[in-house]
Order: sequence, then structure tokens, then C-alpha cells
Amino acid sequence: MATGEDQAVGMGLVGFSLLLFTYYTIWVIILPFVDSDHVVHQYFLQREYSVILPGIAALILLLSVGTFIGVVTWKNRKPKKVD
Amino acid sequence: MTKLLEWVFGVSVIGAAWALVTFDLLNLRLPEAYKEVAWPMPVYLLVVFGCYSLATVGYRVATFNDCEEASKELQDQIKEAKEDLRIKGLKM
Repeated sequence: MATGEDQAVGMGLVGFSLLLFTYYTIWVIILPFVDSDHVVHQYFLQREYSVILPGIAALILLLSVGTFIGVVTWKNRKPKKVD
Repeated sequence: MTKLLEWVFGVSVIGAAWALVTFDLLNLRLPEAYKEVAWPMPVYLLVVFGCYSLATVGYRVATFNDCEEASKELQDQIKEAKEDLRIKGLKM
């Protein structure tokens, strides 16, 4: 059996992704079919943000990965020989 | 037909269908709700795929079983390798 901490982290990831999936699915697929004066609309931003926010998240992810690779490459540079 | 061509063909067909609905290229005059659902679809599918990947990784982390034998074998191999390198002159 995986240790307690591993189980907690793993199940946390599963729970988070389920929450994200549910919220995003309601936002993108369900809301257009709900009357615009229904109370549920107040829990969701305008539709444009359903594309802009993941776009920004993807950008941040790419920048982080690129920065990490850059920093590690910079730290491992050797003057004459490159391994 | 290569796999690449198959994928490109499939993606083009789906992309064409999406563009048709989103930009109303054939003037089909679909209900507004369908257009509202269609235009975030590429981003939506990406997010869903990301959620699925995250959930799969998380679940497999949570259910991974300890491998006692493999762990012991690995420790022995590490000791063996260190000893071998020490004899050959590598200073650890």
C-alpha cells in the first residue's frame, strides 16, 4: 500500500481535477442552455473568461517550464568542454 | 495511408465542423446556445484532457504498492556498484 502521505496527495489530485472538471463543464456546456435570469449564473464569470483563463494558465505553465530549463542549463554550463 | 495522415485527416474534419458552427460559415442559423457551446470547444477539450491526466496520475500515486523485494534488490545493487567503483579508484 502507498504510504499515508502519498495516498493523501494522490486523492487530493483526483478530487481537485474532479472539481475543476465539474465547474468547467457546467460553465462551458450547461450554462448556455440555462435562462439568463437563473440564479446559478452569478457563480460564473462571463463566457470569454472560460477561454482566457486557461490560456493564461497555459502561458504561465510554459513560462515556468522554460525558466526551469533555462536555469538548470545555465547552472550546468562548463567553460570549454560541454558534456 | 500513414498514421500521421490519418490523424491530420481526422483533426481537419473535426476542425472544419467546429469552424462551421462557430463562425456560421454555411449560414445555417443555428440557435445561439449551440454557437455559445461550440466556440470554447478546443480549449474545453484541452482542459478536460488535462483534468483526466491529473486524475490518472493522482490515482496511480495513491494506489501504488510498495515493492519490498525490488527495493532490497536495488539497495544491494547500489552497494555493489559503490564497492566496485571504489576498487577502481573513483573517490565518492
